[in-house]
Amino acid sequence: MSDDAELLERIRNGATDDFAEIVRRHQSRVFAILHRYERDAQKVEDLAQETFVKVWRALGQFDGRAPFEHWISKITVRTALDHLRKEKRRQNEIGLPELGEDALDWLRSDNEKSELDGRAAAEILELAMRELSPTDRVVITMQEIEGRSVKEISAAIGSSGVAVRVRVLRARAKLKSALEKLVKL
Amino acid sequence: MNEQKLKKLFEAAWSETATTPSVDFAAGVLRAVRREKQTPLRETLSAFDQLNLLFPKLACAAAAMIVLGLAADFALTVAGVPNLSDGVSQISAQWLLMPGGL
Repeated sequence: MSDDAELLERIRNGATDDFAEIVRRHQSRVFAILHRYERDAQKVEDLAQETFVKVWRALGQFDGRAPFEHWISKITVRTALDHLRKEKRRQNEIGLPELGEDALDWLRSDNEKSELDGRAAAEILELAMRELSPTDRVVITMQEIEGRSVKEISAAIGSSGVAVRVRVLRARAKLKSALEKLVKL
Repeated sequence: MNEQKLKKLFEAAWSETATTPSVDFAAGVLRAVRREKQTPLRETLSAFDQLNLLFPKLACAAAAMIVLGLAADFALTVAGVPNLSDGVSQISAQWLLMPGGL
């Protein structure tokens, strides 16, 4: 099985079908990233397709200095950011979704050790993060949930490391305040 | 909400399993890429590239305009209608370069 570099060389020389192999290799990563910003499975699939088409269009710009998966991740995060910006405008026109029982119980519980499943946590964060700007949401998701470094975040959103650190601090404060508002609902 | 609870929230969110791609996802992407390849070249080109492509037509149009202008000038001269250069010479001779002129 050839590595990404060989595959990319073949694709650049006209072997379009080999791009399907690139998709198969990296689709899990792309879906995992997009799922952090969009919970509707069909929309995630559409966004993933949009991401890979962008990757295809930009293949000529990939110089191989960074690993290919980092480059794809960067394109994926930018696609997610564009999506969040569009959704932000739409969300202003519709009401807030309801939280599930598990999520509400956990939010109202004083016991810090009470269990919380991934689905409920994602519901809570989805709702609270609506108070954040799309870029703040990306920054906090990458730092706190995905555990990415400041360098990776700054490369993904196109800001300096200092700007990312400042943004993380502010976004975290905003998120905490949004969560406190949810507790009081 | 305290830090410990917030940390727990992030950890739980991390554990949520992502949507899995459909079986024919890669094939779907390939179809989209092929459609992309079939889109007219002009849509994917920059304004400069498009200008380059139009260059032969623009050059022909410019040459036709010059020829048309020369032909019109020649025809007017033959017909005895004073042209612009005659007018300028006349003004120079009669007024501008006279001792009392500018």
